[in-house]
Amino acid sequence: MKKVINFVLLAASMSAGISATASANSLDDLLKQVKNDRISEAKLDKKREAEFLSARADKQALLAKAKKELANQNARNARLTKEYAANEITLAQKEVELDNATGTLGEMFGVSRAAAANAYGTISTSIVSAEYPGRGEALNRIANSKKIPSLPDLEELWFALQTEMTQSGKISQFTTDITNLDGSKSTETVTRIGTFNLISKDGFLNFNDELGQVQPLAKQPAGYISGTASDFFSTTSGYAPLYVDPSRGAILALETRKKTLSEFYHEGKEVGYAITVLLILGCLIALERMIVLGAMGAKIRSQEKNLEQPNENNPLGRLLKVYHDNKAVDAETLELKLDEAILRETPKVDRGINLIKMFAAIAPLMGLLGTVIGMIMTFQTITLFGTGDPKIMAGNISLALVTTALGLICALPLILIHSIVAGRSKSLLQKLDEQSAGLIAAIAEKESK
Amino acid sequence: MLFLIELWESVRSFIATGGNVLYVVAFALLLMWVLMVERYWFLASVYPKMRDDIVNRWNAREDTTSWYAHRIRDTWISEATELLEQRLLTIKTLVAMCPLIGLLGTVTGMIGVFEVMAQQGTGNPRLMASGISMATIPTMAGMVAALSGVFFSSRLDAKVKLAKAKLVDSLPHH
Repeated sequence: MKKVINFVLLAASMSAGISATASANSLDDLLKQVKNDRISEAKLDKKREAEFLSARADKQALLAKAKKELANQNARNARLTKEYAANEITLAQKEVELDNATGTLGEMFGVSRAAAANAYGTISTSIVSAEYPGRGEALNRIANSKKIPSLPDLEELWFALQTEMTQSGKISQFTTDITNLDGSKSTETVTRIGTFNLISKDGFLNFNDELGQVQPLAKQPAGYISGTASDFFSTTSGYAPLYVDPSRGAILALETRKKTLSEFYHEGKEVGYAITVLLILGCLIALERMIVLGAMGAKIRSQEKNLEQPNENNPLGRLLKVYHDNKAVDAETLELKLDEAILRETPKVDRGINLIKMFAAIAPLMGLLGTVIGMIMTFQTITLFGTGDPKIMAGNISLALVTTALGLICALPLILIHSIVAGRSKSLLQKLDEQSAGLIAAIAEKESK
Repeated sequence: MLFLIELWESVRSFIATGGNVLYVVAFALLLMWVLMVERYWFLASVYPKMRDDIVNRWNAREDTTSWYAHRIRDTWISEATELLEQRLLTIKTLVAMCPLIGLLGTVTGMIGVFEVMAQQGTGNPRLMASGISMATIPTMAGMVAALSGVFFSSRLDAKVKLAKAKLVDSLPHH
């Protein structure tokens, strides 16, 4: 420990000796140095001051320049504002001048646009467009354009209206493409009746304005109507009657939705067919009876003229034969034998006649059956779909009524035929039953004299 | 002449509102009346001569009581009856058929109404009205036709029966 303290003391004494010798020289140097420094710093300051002064002058010049620029721009602004105001006034004046100049003409263009829009509706749907296609496009352009229409456009409008007017009074024949119901196309000659109807050799045609196609009707109207169309088409001279649709297709479209008689008939379904079978059977039986009774009546009449020689081919002849075979017997026995023979003949005469009557009675009953079946179906539909849609219900009700109608249609002729056939058979039976005995009595009387 | 044209026009408009069934009614009515007029004419002008002829022949006979005479008398009565009763059955049938034809018209008219309903719905009663008039007018026409025939045909029936009874009475057994 003593050793360390000794070392530190030694070091301290050494360093104190050196610094005492240095400070004696440097104070003068320091003075000299300060003096020198003061001179150089003053020089530097001066130089810097000069620099600042020169920069200040530059900035002053810049400021002056910017101020001058501002003044220039302000002046320009004032000038332009004035100019703008003046232009506004001129513009307003010019607009008034333009209005004055177009005046009535502007109204005319509005009218022409409205006329084109109106005419487009009529002309594009008119059947005249089937003969002169493409008239609608120009009209559509005029009607929808925002610009004032040009002179050719106006002429186009005039021409389209004039064509429609002239053609609506003409019956003309031309050739065109017809798009058939199966989609195939064929070129055919068609006749146009004014703006009302298009007809071809097959009947009425329809012009579809959306597709611009001529199409046959999905279903032609009733034969007596469509017949006049094809007759008219094939007429080459003179006058021919024709059904014209004044609603330009609307009535024909309704007609296509109407059911034809055969469609009505098939609505009767099985019951309807059964009734038809009944009618046919009844008619056949009646026909057979008419022929047989007619022939029998003719033979009996010829036998009446020749009572002496009985012919076996007719009932009266067979009765006479009974008399001729039994001339010897007394009147009572002869009457019994005749009655017997008449009883044998009767079924041959009135056979089948009650069958016709029965058919006539059954037919309306079967119609009633069809009605009941139809009503059952109607109520089934109501159960499924409710009563909301009368169209669904009406379909089945019409089925019910069709069978009733068929029953009546079947019964009426059968009743009439039955009355005729029954009348004929009754007169024949009367002849055999009541008159044959008298004829025989007359012969017997003659022979006994 | 103008009156006739007007009449024809009114008939045509009646048929147009009533439908084609009216033609059937008209045919039945015409047939019925033609037959009835023929019967009245027969009873009034042909039959009396025939009856007198039969009565004279009967009175001229010597034998009117034997079996043979009875049979011959029956035959003459039967022949006369046959001529008297000719077509009466058809007339009666036609009278009975007229309301049935009217009923047929009702049914076809109702079919029309329901067809309109099936196509257009129940929204437009005017469209249905044409079907209803086609249903009601033939019914009325059928009734009127039947009524016009009922009275005269039953009168005819009675007349024929009376004529027959008188004939039988005027052929006595001497």
